Amino acid sequence: MRKSLVIAAFGALLASPSNAVSADINVCIWGTITGPDALVNGMSYGARDYFEYLNEAEGGIEGHKVHTVLLDGRYKLDEEQKNYRRCVSEENAVFINGWSTGAVKSLRDQIQSDAVPFMTDSHSSEVLDPKKFPYIFMAGPTYEQQILIGLRSAAKAGGKRVVIMHANNEYGRAPVEVVRKSGAIEEMGLELVDQIEFPFDTQDLTGQILRVKNIDPDLVFVQASTPQMLVVLRDAAKVGLPASLFMGNMYNISPAIPEQLGASAEGFRSIQLYADFGSDIPAMKDINKYGESNTIEKRDTYYMKGWYQGIAMSTAIRNAVKKAGGVPDDLVAFRNSVRDEMENLPSLDTGGITPVVNYANHQGPTQARISEIKGGSYTAVGEWIDAE
Amino acid sequence: MSLRQIIILITVALAVMVVLPGLGRYGAYIVYVVAIASIGALALNLLIGYCGQISFCHGGLLGVGAYAAGNIGNAGQDMVVALVGAGIVTAFVSVMIGLPALRLRGLYFAISTLAAQFILEYLFRLIEPWTHGVSGLLIQPAPFFGLDLSNDRGYAAIAVGLLVMSLIAVSRLLRTDLGRRFILIRDSEIVARGMGVNVARTKLWAFAISGFLAGMSGGLLAFTSRIAAPEAFEIALSVDYVAMIIVGGLGSLPGAVIGAGFVVLLPEVAQRIGETFGAATQTAALREMVFGLLIILFLIHEPRGLNSLASRAVRRLRRTSGPLSNNKRSSASDLEMTQARL
Amino acid sequence: MFVLQLAVAGIAIGSVYALIALGIVLIYKCSGVVNFAQGGYAMLGAFITYGLTSVGLPSVIALVLAIAVMGGLGALTQILVLRPMLKAPVVAVMMATLGILITFRAVCLLIWGPDQIGFPALFPIGAIELSGIFMTYNYIAAFLLSAILCAGFLAFYHYTPIGLMQRCTADNTRAALAVGIHVSNQVTIAWTASAMLAGLGGALLASLNGLSLGLSNIGLVAFPVIVLGGMTSLPGAVVAGLVLGILQAVTDGVLTPAIERFLREHTDIYSVGTLQQVIPYALLVLVLLVRPQGIFGTKESERV
Repeated sequence: MRKSLVIAAFGALLASPSNAVSADINVCIWGTITGPDALVNGMSYGARDYFEYLNEAEGGIEGHKVHTVLLDGRYKLDEEQKNYRRCVSEENAVFINGWSTGAVKSLRDQIQSDAVPFMTDSHSSEVLDPKKFPYIFMAGPTYEQQILIGLRSAAKAGGKRVVIMHANNEYGRAPVEVVRKSGAIEEMGLELVDQIEFPFDTQDLTGQILRVKNIDPDLVFVQASTPQMLVVLRDAAKVGLPASLFMGNMYNISPAIPEQLGASAEGFRSIQLYADFGSDIPAMKDINKYGESNTIEKRDTYYMKGWYQGIAMSTAIRNAVKKAGGVPDDLVAFRNSVRDEMENLPSLDTGGITPVVNYANHQGPTQARISEIKGGSYTAVGEWIDAE
Repeated sequence: MSLRQIIILITVALAVMVVLPGLGRYGAYIVYVVAIASIGALALNLLIGYCGQISFCHGGLLGVGAYAAGNIGNAGQDMVVALVGAGIVTAFVSVMIGLPALRLRGLYFAISTLAAQFILEYLFRLIEPWTHGVSGLLIQPAPFFGLDLSNDRGYAAIAVGLLVMSLIAVSRLLRTDLGRRFILIRDSEIVARGMGVNVARTKLWAFAISGFLAGMSGGLLAFTSRIAAPEAFEIALSVDYVAMIIVGGLGSLPGAVIGAGFVVLLPEVAQRIGETFGAATQTAALREMVFGLLIILFLIHEPRGLNSLASRAVRRLRRTSGPLSNNKRSSASDLEMTQARL
Repeated sequence: MFVLQLAVAGIAIGSVYALIALGIVLIYKCSGVVNFAQGGYAMLGAFITYGLTSVGLPSVIALVLAIAVMGGLGALTQILVLRPMLKAPVVAVMMATLGILITFRAVCLLIWGPDQIGFPALFPIGAIELSGIFMTYNYIAAFLLSAILCAGFLAFYHYTPIGLMQRCTADNTRAALAVGIHVSNQVTIAWTASAMLAGLGGALLASLNGLSLGLSNIGLVAFPVIVLGGMTSLPGAVVAGLVLGILQAVTDGVLTPAIERFLREHTDIYSVGTLQQVIPYALLVLVLLVRPQGIFGTKESERV
């Protein structure tokens, strides 16, 4: 009875305080701060920190402070949907940076109708299409391209039989299905002997690893995040399979893997898209400067990814502000202008985190290289390969 | 529920709908999320609070409703058809889950519903033609009685309207013979049998009706979020719903609504408070901790839930301020109480 | 050979299941409360062990200390939460234990963060290979320790005065009261013992599988175990734990691939997903329908 009033009152209560915060430029980010994927959350911290760095070092973008909101999607679809709504209609974000493959895929039509520039942390090929999804931008090669890069290296090394393992969520299953159905594996002269699905919040994969051992393949490509990779490699060591048999994608370059697994991680390979944290590049100087007065939550390559996404998003916003001679009052026009500027970024310098990129393809950098754990740290093996 | 209460209810609902255009999208979103959860909590309260059958698969049942409504809606049907269809499908599944209740009692049955929850989760991921597996089923907006209400305010109006209808329907039901038999079975199955109640049939009716409401709630959830995905209907959701009816008050109709509001809004409020202090991990941890501790504290100190707490406070308030009105309870003070608790 | 290797892995995990399930059965027998928080106790025990080693204590001492802390915590929760709820309905008590679980997870999240943590080695790293079967020291230690504990525990229940009082309380609360047993103290003891078992189980599990908040999910896996074992039977819980561990390993290693191979050859279906997650529950439903009192349980008569 009275509940409707209660609800209405709460609605008003909740909606009012954040509307009161007025910043010239609003950017909204959601990551996985808590949840099964939190280990790679450096990318949402990195993007947030870059905008904060701009505020500190340059007084924002063209003199306008950037108000950045960082939300927790908990790697849960409904939570992420909620975050998206809040970003669009309440935070009035001019650029949104969102997390999971499942969420971005389910939101792609809404992003289109809301006409809001969206930087996806997911690299699924199913959300990359400059014509169909003109507001969605990516930060590097797709998962599908990464799987092919991995498999190609096996084919080059004379391998024949490969196994793909993947988590039982959209991020895990969908790219693997796309690759399998495309027939690209056979074209390389490889045989996909088995495809194994496992729970994405898994704690123990001994049974699945024994299944792999029974098949005795030349390469096992794992489409999963770092926490699951830890389980895979640890259980492989339990039954005497070497880490060099396994290969992961861009989300398996975490220092946690060699730290926690020690010798049993030696020889594990994964796909690297961004420079290491701490490497000798211009962007690192800015990060260090920012780190003097702030804490950097995760010191890994995903933080670098986030930083680079921050550079890309802020450059597009800056160009739009410059063009309009100030922050436009009309949010719709501002968002559209940012989208146009994003697409027209002239060979963007990312401070060495990636090669120089342009965003006409909505994908940004398309280069990747294979990195292997040697002596407890990741070492690049081979040159940057263009994924296309 | 007396006639006057029904009138109050409808008036308040109409008032909310009038206010809705003034609400922002986010405000409307909060309204319908709470209203949808309230329908779901009402369904569960019917089963646990009135009929005494403990269920830990309510999240799964909402999922069934969501997928059913999504598939019917995508086939080009009106949202009303889809919601009713979802109700019927879910009622059927609910009865299937309830079948073991004819043999198992109390705890054993509760554990069998836990099993049902996990089996449903697995099936959501597996039956690709209906559920689109892990990708989730994308749901096209559907007209409501031919009207295009597919925006946050429209959804809020539909959800509040359905909630009012469900509240009235359930309160009527509880006054029928069937409703009284539910309560008898909850209090003592043996006495019920002794009085000649067909326990098996009565229980299955409880599952069917509860399932129907759960299906509608799930269906609304599907249309509003435009996707039905397995991750949204996991065991944690079932736990949330049990928490709702316990916090609100077992066997109390307003309790289901208050509890739903509480459980849905608490994380939001905690999140907002946490955000003003920064540190996101701590915010998340504190949000969970407040939730867990409040559940425990409620169970120990206020086992009859927020609803009883609110009405008691209102009574005390009235005693001190004299007999201001003959109304059983006033909405304003109830509101204050709930806010004070939060 | 392959199946043997699977069985070894299954027994190692299964013996941890048994430890956790034993704790749940213990509490249920004594007080009729189903403890959904058992997984939470296991997780907390592992985290406390980790916390103590990270301040410099040797891992064995840390483990012993952590188990002692867990015992205290078990008693404390019983006194603070469960005692005031003596007259509450079953569902309320269940929900209270769920509240405890949620709170524990939040505490661990607050202190140790959401990321997976490398657990300190409790046992020497390495493995022995017995005619092609690979057994890590971790596996062997987890199994031996669980076996010794289970046996010791059952012996304690059968041959000591406290054990006798516990059994009396579990058997018939009123009769126990009549012969002068302080029943609520007995329930506190049961919670203490159960939390200690969970703490140890959690630490063992973390040494096998690493440490994260996900560890608390073991509590849910333990439910099929106790139902299969018959809710009130301690040896039943042990046997059912082992059976379930082996069953899951065999599902992953043999059953799923076999089904998938068949489906891929004869139909368009390519995968059956993560079958091992539902196998225990499917079995649970089956057992409940055919033999509601579990495999080892005795039928309870209904009280009016």
